[in-house]
Amino acid sequence: MFNYYLRLARISILKHWGLSLLMILAIGLGIGATMTTVTVNYLMSANPIPHKSEQLYYVQLDSWDVNDPFDEGQNPPDQLTYTDSTNLMKAKKAFRQNVQAQAYAVIEPNDPEILPMIVNARANSADFFAMFDVPFIYGNAWSNQADDNKELVVVLNKETNEKIFGGKNSVGESIRIDGNVFQVVGVIDHWQPKPRFYDISTGAFNETEDIFVPFNLIAEEKMRMSGNTNCWKPTGDGFEAFLASECIWTQFWVELKTEQDKDDYLNFLNAYVEEQKQYGRFLRPMDNRLSTVTQWLEVQEVVADDARIMMTMSFMFLIVCLLNTVGLLLAKFLGKAPEIGLRQALGASKSTLFFQYIIEAGCIGFAGGLLGLFFAFWGLIGIETLYGDYMQNLATLDLNMMALAIAISFFATIIAGIYPTWRACKVQPSHQLKSQ
Amino acid sequence: MLVMKNINKTFQTGNIQTHALNNFNLTVNEGDFVSVTGPSGSGKTTFLNIAGLLETYTNGEFTLDGKDVGQLNDNGRSRMRNEKIGFVFQGFNLIPDLNLFDNVDVPLRYRGFDAKERRRRIEENLERVGLASRMKHLPSQLSGGQQQRVAIARALATEPRFLLADEPTGNLDSQMAQGVMTLLEEINQQGTTIIMVTHDLELAMRAIRTIQVRDGRVSELDVVAEKASA
Amino acid sequence: MIEIGLIVRALLRNKIGALLIALQIALTMTIMVNAIFMIQDRQSQMQRESGLDEANTFYLTNTVFGKDYNLQAEMQTDLNSIRKTPGVIDALQINAIPLSGGGWSMSLQHEPGDDKDTIGSAVYMVDDHAINTLGVELLAGTNFSAEDIEWRVDGQSTWPSKTIITKAFAEQLYPDNWETALGKTIYISQNQPMQVIGIIKTLQAPWNGWGGVERSMLVPFQMETQSSYYFIRTESGRRDELMPIIEKTLAESNKERIIRRVTTLEETRKRSYRRHNATNKILTTVVITLTLITGFGIVGLAIFSINRRTKQIGTRRAIGATKWQVMRYFLVENFLISCVGVIIGIAGAIALNMWLVKTFNLTPIGFELIAFGAVALFIVGQLAVLYPAKKAALIPPATATRTV
Repeated sequence: MFNYYLRLARISILKHWGLSLLMILAIGLGIGATMTTVTVNYLMSANPIPHKSEQLYYVQLDSWDVNDPFDEGQNPPDQLTYTDSTNLMKAKKAFRQNVQAQAYAVIEPNDPEILPMIVNARANSADFFAMFDVPFIYGNAWSNQADDNKELVVVLNKETNEKIFGGKNSVGESIRIDGNVFQVVGVIDHWQPKPRFYDISTGAFNETEDIFVPFNLIAEEKMRMSGNTNCWKPTGDGFEAFLASECIWTQFWVELKTEQDKDDYLNFLNAYVEEQKQYGRFLRPMDNRLSTVTQWLEVQEVVADDARIMMTMSFMFLIVCLLNTVGLLLAKFLGKAPEIGLRQALGASKSTLFFQYIIEAGCIGFAGGLLGLFFAFWGLIGIETLYGDYMQNLATLDLNMMALAIAISFFATIIAGIYPTWRACKVQPSHQLKSQ
Repeated sequence: MLVMKNINKTFQTGNIQTHALNNFNLTVNEGDFVSVTGPSGSGKTTFLNIAGLLETYTNGEFTLDGKDVGQLNDNGRSRMRNEKIGFVFQGFNLIPDLNLFDNVDVPLRYRGFDAKERRRRIEENLERVGLASRMKHLPSQLSGGQQQRVAIARALATEPRFLLADEPTGNLDSQMAQGVMTLLEEINQQGTTIIMVTHDLELAMRAIRTIQVRDGRVSELDVVAEKASA
Repeated sequence: MIEIGLIVRALLRNKIGALLIALQIALTMTIMVNAIFMIQDRQSQMQRESGLDEANTFYLTNTVFGKDYNLQAEMQTDLNSIRKTPGVIDALQINAIPLSGGGWSMSLQHEPGDDKDTIGSAVYMVDDHAINTLGVELLAGTNFSAEDIEWRVDGQSTWPSKTIITKAFAEQLYPDNWETALGKTIYISQNQPMQVIGIIKTLQAPWNGWGGVERSMLVPFQMETQSSYYFIRTESGRRDELMPIIEKTLAESNKERIIRRVTTLEETRKRSYRRHNATNKILTTVVITLTLITGFGIVGLAIFSINRRTKQIGTRRAIGATKWQVMRYFLVENFLISCVGVIIGIAGAIALNMWLVKTFNLTPIGFELIAFGAVALFIVGQLAVLYPAKKAALIPPATATRTV
């Protein structure tokens, strides 16, 4: 019978093609708009490192001005001072710890044919790579000793290794960065967590960096930090004074295996702040925080307001499209009352009829869903083109989303189809059979 | 075969109650050709709707082919319509979007025959009404008489025990009406019981038995008429 | 009109159909009004002037990597060579670019001390060529003189003793009369005095989303640093021709640095407002599509209802209704449905706006916009029903007598 109903649906849809087209188009547009915005929101709020997001913690300490709280007192500062992060680093109280900042540098390739190039750099600790599961093609991360000894070592990303070394295994090679000779210890594979959770302060959806170098080289003035610096207290003259200042510009991550470890670490942080108070620092009430990756993304409001507003609107849009479909289906099915009466006379039960018309509604929904996927595909391309790097790396339709699109449209239409179908099946056969 | 005892049917519209059938009694035997006449509003159509299980009755007893109709639910009535009853309407009631083949196919689908059996029955019955060659045509491409023939083919395809006809010639000119009437007579001779509502007395007289409905009941004793000789 | 009662009764008999259209109209209005509101809001932000001569301005980044590089001397050489290039009006070194999204801000206060109220302002480090190069208008006071300019090294914490501020900043400092700001001393970095020697009309901060975007100050600093911007203003229409020339001259004059990101201010503006632009385009598409869908929905439903009522309409015509009366029936019917839709729509638009205000800190919507939305949807409804109504009017009276 299913095939028979499909055939009847096809005949009916083609016979009233204008109306069918209008319904399919409406559903398609509604689904397309919804899927586009849902995908953007879904990717913005995705968990970038699901298997260990609950073991990685971002550290916040409230070192801010006693008279004028950071972020109007809602959150402690979003970065740490150099003093605090190096102290925490030295304490080594976590399973793994990483201090980092954004930097930039000029690479002068050995090959004089290749022009010097500016690269984005991340200055981080050795643990960075293990903590965030960075995949290596060649070599490895540098050692903790290299951090301590301020060795001139560098890890390149795949693209930079391509440009400078033509993609070969460059481990052990030397490379001139900002006038100093660095040794390559590793090359990483393509790696682009979405969002780029490890540093949200410089753009949650930015590209990952071209090169990675030990954080301590910034203090040695062998690497130039970029990123955001925020100060509340005047600093003294010179770089030494800057490092010793209350300016925040470093980020600190720890990896803690258990809940117990987390409690211990928080206690350690509180004790540390208590101790620092002796030096006249941390005058604000104690507010130290450890946020997991997901908590941190939430606190930093990675999902843009625009994206959320548009998702809300697109859902309303979908509802309009569905109301449209309900109205048109209702009109169409009621127009079929004579046929429905006749079918009953010929032996169709109400459940049979319900099944027949819900299949017709389902077909329209399915076609609308397919069209919606097509619209969503172009919608995402459109969003990427319109928004540029602000929403780059976001516009991809994955399988989950595709399945969701089809499912939403299918169920949406079934729901939209239920009322008209029910009304159609309530037709009294004897009223329809007599010619007027 | 078809036995109605003291059937009542009342409609409630606002405060007004209408008795469409009032202690209606009728027995129709196997192989009968009964014509039902009566003035407008007499209850002919209500009788036919109840006889065809399209409407329920308010009270009374109604057995069809030995089954108590009052016991059946909607699904049961649907099955019974499909298996035992064929309908022919004044307005033909073909589905305009479907071709002749698919129109005759409709009740066979609900019966659940396999494709081969359906094809056999469709072809056989369209052949019987002389329209086998136009199987792929849409109803709108046919004359009224031809459409009514298709409707008859559709009614016969399930091999029903009863054929209920509601003014089957009402929309046809007299020549076409004669043709349809002759076809019904043939069908009756082959064993199908026919109940036909009409207000054309001349046609009514061609039935084996003619009854008159007046004010919701069979008004007088059955008028048995010999079939007019063809 | 006599018919209204009749139409209402007919509508009540087909409540669901009418309600579906009314709800569609309501939701369309809800979305339309709020979307247009957001579009207007962004539009007005985008129309604010930066104060610069945007059409004839570009900038580039000069990044030095060589060791033993004489930063002071090389920068002076660069600027002199750019300023002498035919077609260039003026050029300077600057620490940040308006609208670019990256820059410096400092807190200023009326009195020295670490517990005083402060006002934030963007800081542009420039020399005495600033007013000419940026193309800003000096409303009061004077420009910096060549002697005012000091060298600043990376990490330096002291500030010069003079500054030029924008009118908006002056208004914030002296709400009663901005002109009184001239000559006053304000304090930077809690306790370093600076005298306001000039007030300029408009110069936007680098952050377009910041509430204080109109507050900026010019500080007479030349930066001895490895990376800074050169900001160049050309004669009208010569910008595009000069960009590659200057890039090439600079890159070839000294190989121990990289000249990169040669960018016009128009590009920067475009980039700065890219999200605004994108959101506006999307919202516009949404409004148009939605209106079309609702419009076509009304057309489809009207055609259906007319097809079902063919005989009834024919009968009316037979009884003596004129074509116009038949048409009017459907126009009035649609108007009544629209009324219900618009009333729900007004409530919906306000509710959605309240939610947006609460959740995303948008501003409340104006009455005119709601009125506009209502009128727009009445028009859409009437236009949509026009074609079906005309079709209905063409149904011949003879239809009444046909049986099948």
